[in-house]
Amino acid sequence: MNELVDAVIIGGGIHGCAIACSLAQKSRQKILLLEKKYLAAGATGRCAAGIRQQFGTEINIRLATASIKKFEQLQDELDYHRNVGLLQHGYLMLAYSQSELKQYQENALLQKQIDANNQTSLLGVDEISEMVPQLNLKGVVGASYNPKDGHVDPFLATDAYATAARRRGVEIRTDTEVTDILLQGERVCGVVTHKGEIIHTPVVVNAAGAFGSILGKKVGIDLPLYPERHQLLVSEPLEMFLGPTIISFFHGACFKQTPQGSLILGVGDPQHEIKALNERSSWQFLGDVARKLTYHMPLLENISVIRQWAGLYDMTPDAQGIVGETGIEGFYLDLGWSGHGFQLAPAIGQIMAEIICGEKPFIDVRVLSLERFARGELIPEPYCV
Amino acid sequence: MRVIQHPILHFQRGREIKFTFNGRELTGYEGETIAAALHASGVRALGHSPRLNRPRGFFCATGNCSSCLMKVNGIANVRVCITPLQEGAVVEVQKGKGDILATD
Ligand SMILES: Cc1cc2nc3c(=O)[nH]c(=O)nc-3n(C[C@H](O)[C@H](O)[C@H](O)COP(=O)(O)OP(=O)(O)OC[C@H]3O[C@@H](n4cnc5c(N)ncnc54)[C@H](O)[C@@H]3O)c2cc1C
Repeated sequence: MNELVDAVIIGGGIHGCAIACSLAQKSRQKILLLEKKYLAAGATGRCAAGIRQQFGTEINIRLATASIKKFEQLQDELDYHRNVGLLQHGYLMLAYSQSELKQYQENALLQKQIDANNQTSLLGVDEISEMVPQLNLKGVVGASYNPKDGHVDPFLATDAYATAARRRGVEIRTDTEVTDILLQGERVCGVVTHKGEIIHTPVVVNAAGAFGSILGKKVGIDLPLYPERHQLLVSEPLEMFLGPTIISFFHGACFKQTPQGSLILGVGDPQHEIKALNERSSWQFLGDVARKLTYHMPLLENISVIRQWAGLYDMTPDAQGIVGETGIEGFYLDLGWSGHGFQLAPAIGQIMAEIICGEKPFIDVRVLSLERFARGELIPEPYCV
Repeated sequence: MRVIQHPILHFQRGREIKFTFNGRELTGYEGETIAAALHASGVRALGHSPRLNRPRGFFCATGNCSSCLMKVNGIANVRVCITPLQEGAVVEVQKGKGDILATD
């Protein structure tokens, strides 16, 4: 079967769905989204669902700030039938040294410069203990806090975009893997699916997350992208008791309470984590996370675990996304989000649609171009877990 | 009816002991599960569904289904179907999802 469409988006994570939704709003063309498994099967459905403005690079602050505003309006904007699980309980980022605190101070200044309404503030130990009395503050010298940071349900947010996209005429095909991308000279002209279908299209968007480098190879582009496994665990639901999401970059630990009352806990161990397309969780993680959690909050030693899982970060050399055009005409990238891409999808979805339509994007994302690696213009984001 | 054989736990029924359920004094046997003692005493509603607050009873009996989460000696979310009864245990129907900050 041969068919012809105007654009193919590969990947049904939050990025693919957000792009499809924005693109369909701009044009009445035929847009097809192809997902090899089911929506949110990749990193999106496995992520910790955190949203925050407390970043350390200008581009991430701009994207995150715009995205949080969009998340706040998402239900209305997309006319979705329910709240997308938004909970703005704040992010508390603990500092264990003066230099860490100084970096937070600089980040907060940068955040204020970019957004006059930014509410990030630095807290002293007394204020932290007032906010979260159960926290073990041994070694803590201060913290950075923003009350507008928080949580959005990744399944609901993805579904909200997908539902709105379908309403705007996008066709979403799940259980459909793209196995090849067809070129005509230096431009894309189609994709091939695992069923052998050929779909002709002048536009292909690679939003395949950690699997995106496989697709890059199909058009001869070697993407500087590698997978890194990260794991999470969810507890039984408890009455709401924990205010903000707690992050300790020093320990590589992060935990929070979701609107359902469950705790989501993660520990990052980039040095030892498997760098392969491996989405299986390990028993070692369970012990590791239990030790770290009970260190930070001994009160939680008796809570029960419901389940644990793993997902893939799509890592780049500077832990920043890759966005926009490539040397192949009609072949666009939106991937490489290195563990913080869920929260940026609302802004990036719009930006990608603008770039594809040849418009000037509402946030300048040239620093995130693929060419930056060849030019050596890396923009490392120091604040990732 | 009294559970004398458990699907996953081996227990020896010991002597008769006293415990309380919502402040009421009941008796059970040392070593049997709290749920077995409650059931034998006619207690059927162990927990409540989180959204509609409907009563939930003894169901899987193996610690999986979360139908019997109760407060025992002040600790929330105890699966009473797999927790052995001890002398003087204070067993209470739990309100809500389990209050980790409760100190009583
Ligand atoms: C453990 C963990 C915790 C995280 N925590 C956070 C957090 O708190 N906050 C945050 O902002 N980010 C977080 N992230 C990162 C976030 O999950 C990702 O950056 C984001 O979800 C990426 O979305 P995406 O749509 O680009 O990719 P994905 O969600 O990975 O979607 C890519 C999709 O493409 C599909 N696909 C792949 N190859 C093909 C093909 N050939 N044909 C068709 N379909 C294909 C996949 O099946 C997948 O569904 C976390 C990630 C992990 C793993």
